[in-house]
Amino acid sequence: MYLLPCHPFAQEVCEFAKMALRELSSLEKALGLKKPNKYSTQGDNKQVPVLQSNSGPALSGLVTIATHLVKQANRADLLGESAEHRAVVQQWLEYRVTKVDGCQKEEIKPILKDLNSYLEDKVYLAGNQFTLADTLMYYGVHHIIMDQSVQDKETYVNVTRWFDHVQHYPGVRHHLHPVVILKNRLYTSSHH
Amino acid sequence: MAAGTLYSYPENWRAFKAQIAAQYSGARLKVASSAPAFTFGQTNRTPAFLSNFPLGKVPAFQGDDGFCLFESNAIAHYLSNEALRGSSPQSQAQVIQWVSFADSEIIPPASVWVFPTLGIMQYNKQATEQAKEEVKKVLSVLNQHLNTRTFLVGDRVSLADISVACSMLWLYRQVLEPAFRQPYPNVTRWFQTCVNQPQFKAVLGEVKLCEKMAQFDPKKFADMQPKKDTPPKKEKAAKEMSKPQEKKEKKKEEKKAAPVEEEMDECEAALAAEPKTKDPFAHLPKSPFVLDEFKRKYSNEDTLTVAVPYFWEHFDKEGYSIWYGEYKYPQELTMTFMSCNLIMGMFQRLDKLRKNGFASVILFGGNNESSISGIWIFRGQDLAFTLSDDWQIDYESYSWRKLDPDSEETKTMVKEYFAWEGDFKHVGKPFNQGKCFK
Repeated sequence: MYLLPCHPFAQEVCEFAKMALRELSSLEKALGLKKPNKYSTQGDNKQVPVLQSNSGPALSGLVTIATHLVKQANRADLLGESAEHRAVVQQWLEYRVTKVDGCQKEEIKPILKDLNSYLEDKVYLAGNQFTLADTLMYYGVHHIIMDQSVQDKETYVNVTRWFDHVQHYPGVRHHLHPVVILKNRLYTSSHH
Repeated sequence: MAAGTLYSYPENWRAFKAQIAAQYSGARLKVASSAPAFTFGQTNRTPAFLSNFPLGKVPAFQGDDGFCLFESNAIAHYLSNEALRGSSPQSQAQVIQWVSFADSEIIPPASVWVFPTLGIMQYNKQATEQAKEEVKKVLSVLNQHLNTRTFLVGDRVSLADISVACSMLWLYRQVLEPAFRQPYPNVTRWFQTCVNQPQFKAVLGEVKLCEKMAQFDPKKFADMQPKKDTPPKKEKAAKEMSKPQEKKEKKKEEKKAAPVEEEMDECEAALAAEPKTKDPFAHLPKSPFVLDEFKRKYSNEDTLTVAVPYFWEHFDKEGYSIWYGEYKYPQELTMTFMSCNLIMGMFQRLDKLRKNGFASVILFGGNNESSISGIWIFRGQDLAFTLSDDWQIDYESYSWRKLDPDSEETKTMVKEYFAWEGDFKHVGKPFNQGKCFK
């Protein structure tokens, strides 16, 4: 794996590209792929990861590449068990790149609110199994959760619970720091 | 890796715990729950079985190496792997904590609430209401715990989840309707996730959550009562199942857990072993008197010249009995049409008795000064009403006298009541109208 040097004016965007590359590398490990793939980035302002492959055209974009890796590892189950769940997985992958990536500070709250109510009656994002949606969403919101106060974590308790579950899921965390999650509530008066 | 055979009856939630644990650990488990390998009620009473499992209860496990275990939690523990049992002393203890919680906090109230809805236990309003409260308590404890946790212990499914989820299977299937479970979203999320894991699904199949709270069904309960081919011991146990237990419960609440659990095995056994329909008269020998034939004569031919003579000619006093029933509260009878409704209502509630019974019941007198009495013919020598819970609604409002089929008095009464005419000397009121149960 090698990284293209970043354009100095696109410092911030470049951070996302780097993040995406780290993510893909972690995903490869999580999937048990032995031979790391070669990546680059492309685009002027919007840096997107590109997978160089020997057989066939280059693949670009986080979701496309991640989906490809999952298939390469023969783990199609991570894309959803049923047609319905596969669609939900795709929905959250799209949500991740369109809403979560590059979100502004004021957009964080609505995202967490969304996720929190969605996860109230769910353990995983799609269906009853762990999927690629959980992995990529976990990578995507990690920096948000890292910055949260204990009180925030309690406010969005369903997100917090889901996050904690995913970060303990075997082989997922890799390049990211573990976030300490309290199981006992401090602010008991806040909504559940 | 453990390998062996699990003896059980089909659909036994206690056995499910061991089966699911084996799904996770990969233990090779054969389940013997049907003939010829295992017949519940027979195989478990054989000396060979009892020498391995002195209680004669299931589930029971026998390893391929001869290692024997009873008690479902021990079996499930044995068939687990380290991930299910807990990897640290703390998590192992937590697993035991939740397994015990399932047995001592969930199962007793769940049984009191759910069994009547399945027709395997008599309903008692007070006991059921109290059980509901206890279930609410359990749910709120779980809801609180699962607010910040995905599974009960640690970050993955453990034996704790298997045990607690299995102990809540019937609750979620039968009675926890959406409105009731609404305040406990974390519990339902966790439960749904558990039962939808492939390892659970392989054993449980699709688990459909209750949409409408099941209620006690007296008909089902009557149908579930044992019939003649049931061993006498069990019949007795099943009959005693309801009333003494409820009494016990009222008297000593705190000691309730043990008896309920004991009863439950019998209940579950009854649930698994009993066929669906029961004939309460099945224990009686065949009778030469064909009641239906008499009813045909009575309906189609003249009563005094054909039906009554036919009756006495063919009546089998060993196989049938004749009863005189009189309404105990004539002073409460007002309008005659209401009194007729009373009679017809009773007939309707006795619907299933028609095959083995016949009656002619007469309303005497007019508005506000009437009485009701009738002649009843039943299969057997006892008052038939006690044979089914369905039949016990009305009969206590009547005084019952068994008639001697050979006496003149009986001959007269049968003639008069069947024909709806005569002196009715013992009544002292004029004939108003008659109703026939046939």
